[in-house]
Amino acid sequence: MGNLRVAVDIGGTFTDMAAFDEASGKLVFGKALSTHDALARGIQDSVDGADVKIDEAYLFLHGTTIAINTLLERTGAKTALLITEGFRDIYEIGRINRPDAYNLFFGKHEPLIARSWRHEVKERMKADGSVHRELDETHLRELSRVIKAQGAEAVAILLLHSYRNPAHERRVEEIVREEIPSAFVSSSHRLSQEYREFERVSTVAANAYVGPRVEKYLGELDRHLRDKNFKGDFYVVQSTGGLFPVSEARNECVRMLESGPAAGVIGTQAICAQLGLKDAIAFDMGGTTAKAGVISDGRPLTAGSALIGGYERALPIQIPMIDIFEVGTGGGSIARLVEGNAMRVGPQSAGSSPGPACYGKGGTEPTVTDANLVLGRLDAKHFLGGEMPLDVAAAERAIRDRIAAKLKLDPLEAAEGILRIAATAMSYAVKGVTTERGLDAGKFTMVVYGGAGPLHASAVAREIGIRRVLIPFSPGHFSAYGMLFSDLRRDYVRSCFQKLASAPFALFEGLYREMEDEGRASIANSAVKPQSVQVTRFADMRYIGQEHAVTVELDRGLFEREDRDAIKSAFDAVHQLRYGTNAPREKAELVSLRATVTGQVEKPPPIRIAAGQAEPPAAALRTRRPVYFREAGGFVETPIYVRTALLAGNRVAGPALIEEHASTTVLLPGDVMIVDPAGNLDIAVGSRA
Amino acid sequence: MSDSPRKVDPITVEIIRNGLVAVTEEMKTNLMRTAYNLIVYEALDFTVGLFTPDGDTVSIGLGLPMFIRGMSETVKAKLNHFGRDNIHPGDILVTNDGYITGSHLNHVTFTMPVFHDDKLVAFTCCMAHWLDVGGVRGVVTTDIYSEGLQIPMVKYRKAGIVNEDVVDIIKMNCRLPEHAMGDLRAQVTALTTGERRFLELVERYGHDAVLDSVAVIMDHAEAEARANTASIPDGVYEAESFMDDDGLEIGKRVPIRVKVIVEGETMTIDLSEVAAQVRGYFNSGIATGIACAQVAYKCLTTPTFYPMNEGSFRSLKVIIPPGRAISAVRPAPLQNWMSYPMTVIDTVFKALAPAIPDRVIAGHHADLVIGQLHGITADGTFWVTHVGPVGGGWGAKSSEDGISVTVCINDGDTHNTPSEQLESKFPVLVERYEMRADSGGPGRQRGGLGADFVIQALSPMNVNTKIERKYCPPWGLDNGNDAAGNSLEVRIDGKWRDDLPNAKLLAMRMKAGDAFMIRSGGGGGFGDPKTRDAARVAHDVIEGYVSPEAAADRYGVVVDAKTGAIDEKATQKLRGK
Repeated sequence: MGNLRVAVDIGGTFTDMAAFDEASGKLVFGKALSTHDALARGIQDSVDGADVKIDEAYLFLHGTTIAINTLLERTGAKTALLITEGFRDIYEIGRINRPDAYNLFFGKHEPLIARSWRHEVKERMKADGSVHRELDETHLRELSRVIKAQGAEAVAILLLHSYRNPAHERRVEEIVREEIPSAFVSSSHRLSQEYREFERVSTVAANAYVGPRVEKYLGELDRHLRDKNFKGDFYVVQSTGGLFPVSEARNECVRMLESGPAAGVIGTQAICAQLGLKDAIAFDMGGTTAKAGVISDGRPLTAGSALIGGYERALPIQIPMIDIFEVGTGGGSIARLVEGNAMRVGPQSAGSSPGPACYGKGGTEPTVTDANLVLGRLDAKHFLGGEMPLDVAAAERAIRDRIAAKLKLDPLEAAEGILRIAATAMSYAVKGVTTERGLDAGKFTMVVYGGAGPLHASAVAREIGIRRVLIPFSPGHFSAYGMLFSDLRRDYVRSCFQKLASAPFALFEGLYREMEDEGRASIANSAVKPQSVQVTRFADMRYIGQEHAVTVELDRGLFEREDRDAIKSAFDAVHQLRYGTNAPREKAELVSLRATVTGQVEKPPPIRIAAGQAEPPAAALRTRRPVYFREAGGFVETPIYVRTALLAGNRVAGPALIEEHASTTVLLPGDVMIVDPAGNLDIAVGSRA
Repeated sequence: MSDSPRKVDPITVEIIRNGLVAVTEEMKTNLMRTAYNLIVYEALDFTVGLFTPDGDTVSIGLGLPMFIRGMSETVKAKLNHFGRDNIHPGDILVTNDGYITGSHLNHVTFTMPVFHDDKLVAFTCCMAHWLDVGGVRGVVTTDIYSEGLQIPMVKYRKAGIVNEDVVDIIKMNCRLPEHAMGDLRAQVTALTTGERRFLELVERYGHDAVLDSVAVIMDHAEAEARANTASIPDGVYEAESFMDDDGLEIGKRVPIRVKVIVEGETMTIDLSEVAAQVRGYFNSGIATGIACAQVAYKCLTTPTFYPMNEGSFRSLKVIIPPGRAISAVRPAPLQNWMSYPMTVIDTVFKALAPAIPDRVIAGHHADLVIGQLHGITADGTFWVTHVGPVGGGWGAKSSEDGISVTVCINDGDTHNTPSEQLESKFPVLVERYEMRADSGGPGRQRGGLGADFVIQALSPMNVNTKIERKYCPPWGLDNGNDAAGNSLEVRIDGKWRDDLPNAKLLAMRMKAGDAFMIRSGGGGGFGDPKTRDAARVAHDVIEGYVSPEAAADRYGVVVDAKTGAIDEKATQKLRGK
């Protein structure tokens, strides 16, 4: 077996590959169109295109959109739900909130499992884990036959209080497996041992619903790799950014929902580590949305759950993941006039079909991409390396007819306005999320990637008040690159309602040990031998009477010393940071215990590119062309650099454009960019106009 | 619409519009993350906003959808009370006067003037529901004095110095002074956040550009409201409904009559014929009466225009004399201010149904459907909690079925409580939480379903409920049928009782094993149920939303409950074809 670590990230449009040869220290990238009918072909294309030999790899790392797409497109398995008697409708009832408060045509989430496929099991646990009603196994077997006759391919199981005592869920699982051997069976406690029955049922239903399709896909891919003589181990990236073996991924599919975006944040974390940065915002802008994650004190911020789909109709998934927030602004965001000639940008998107007006595929409404083209920030002949010529006239026409004429604006002003509106909208979203965490976004560095990110990075940073922007080497392959830095990781949660003042430490120790042992065993069983295994303990805590809990990292020594006061102080401090207030004299309680077990994998060394002078080599300056900058009062003759020809130490002052295959970096007047030794574009952002 | 030319360009306007929304969103974030009580951060019983120096709404961050009017009225009342010349930088004005805010005394409202270059440029304002402001418990109050501490319009802070006398009075009159002070601090944080962020916009874009943009945004909202009013046929539209009772005179119905006059681009909502103020605690102040009309008008004309602002209401005239149940005057009790107004709003939709059938909605369950429990555990600890909101059905529209089991129009992003959490904290057992078959009003479009929520006492407890609308069920429109109304049943010593005179319980004692069931109503149907596509009726039967009996009786569709097969012949006969 070779020394090659291969990472492949499948996105909506492209499949990206990054490979690292541990022996030579060499890093290569590949890109191919995603092939949605046969995903394995796109993967093979991306590998072949970069001349990487899969049979020399010892590790294949994978991020995929298959789970999330199956969920969003509703193309999953025929799934039945088994649930405690009296509760079959909680999945449909949900949390009953109505965020779109004045809209009589508001919507609500649609369960993945229809009511007639939801069946009630005769059993009941109490909140303390004691049995209130024994499981009626005879009835369950009858039900299983009904479900089998219904044609269920997957069965989800949720029993009340299973986070406290999973005995009934386990038994139901056994019986269903006996009765319907062909079904994909998933029970809630294996995914989440946290209270909140709606969130847990939504999680287990989603897992069962996507399970058969994901299992089949991973199986096919595994076989494909073996056919190509791959002899190593196959790992999948979770939404935490950590890796888990394909054998586990097949059963716990919802853990990979956000694998691609999570890997981008891990890549950002890696860059932070290389440059000694503690705080950064990972900003990824594509065609329809912009996504952002936060690195705080060197680590990604995580959340205990996420909402999949728009807030109003979202399906919650209650498992730990990197906290990634999304704004409905992307290259395809449409600019429109509404009543009173008020101008809006997004959230409607032209997507990739028909796409922006300039794609020439029938789109007539102006988009952010059209505005970039009209202002000269995109090159009609060099878009995607020239593979896709853009229609400037169509973009101009759309902006003029739909926006500028009606507002009596110059079309260029209108185009520039579209970009400014988009940038401010994204900046408010980033600020909002950091405020929520009690963090000051202005003090962060912003690491920007994704196709459309580098075009807007400087403008967004100015609006937030961020002074430093980094465009990483190869921003179009960034998620695949990030995967090379992923560690083996398992996350566990156990609900545990205890008042801190009276809680028995033996109980904590027992629960933590159980989680840690499971995690260590899981990592020990994997083929990759980590350099070290790290266990981190957390507790979700709140003041007695509060509903919302915050997650507090707790050193294991605190438990060994049974130091209640120090645990309380740690909680008070986190509360102060997160909420701006705390109440040291109020008593606290614990809601859940969490443990993360990480197996650290050797990291690739930083990329090193050839060094040059402050003045970029002549070959790097491809051309000059007029580009519109409001800050400069209109079109200015602007140098256009080829990114791949830039050398470490090169210095470029804005206005300037730096083009590469799938993205263009815009330096606004006042910005100064220096290429760092790793090939990152390190931009000192000018002050805002 | 104002004729004065606005100098600001449309791009700046849009940037500032997004900025204003962000200001109130951030106020909301900071209130929610620092507030101490869970009514604020779980039930979202608060509202924050930004106002012009005259007290007109620039942007509101929800919060409580029904509080669309209360803050602007409160800012204006404070301006009027103190006079503009007596409001200075560093001041914070407070009141919980229910006849000004329109709601109960728990809604303590703080207002801060925002100055730029010594000039008053805005007010920030924050209402939040305090857990306790004193007053009696466990009875139907009959005047405001029994409902707790009344804080007149006073300065909580004067030129930056906190008025400790006011603080002392508040602390002595609240059962939970620490919670009250925690919420007070959170509210002040929200105000200063709004001040800081608004001033940032002023610094960045200039005072004139921001104020001009605000004016233009209001004009945009107004244009949208006027256009959507002009498309309603002119006419006078009336409707009526009623409430069960006022909690004291059981069986005495409380009539709700509304009149809507549409003339070109303007609408008048006349609420003069809503019942006079009642003796029990179901009244609200005039700000809420106006809010009834404004919520209805916003839903019909500018439902998704953000920020919510005064421009949306320039083409609306509200007529409401004092002394009605939704414009009550001192000393009317206000504790349960939120119940009647929801029905007033629904009645406005009902009135307009003949004019704009495609834009209105049939009646909804129109109640919080909550219960309050308290008791003493085996080890002697006093406990108190509420169960619900259970959520109920929403009305059907001409184009789609109603939404099932969702919070009422008074509330927005409010969540229910997980049963697993309820059982972990309190000695109760949730027996069932399920959709209520046949509760949705039959119609060509079916109304949403209500829910049954059954809760069992594991140790002795007391139950209070104030649930309305048992006897005036959510109505159908355009020949659509009524839904099931809200109701309540109790199980004492193993026997269920469904013959209660209303859905209100006053300090009912329950032993271990006893239980009660909140049955929330559905939403009304839209259109003749006999014209509902038979395949959709069959689908409803398979899914159990509609029973086979109701499918035949109400929809005229004969369906095999097991297979979903439609008996075409029998169906044709029932449908008279």
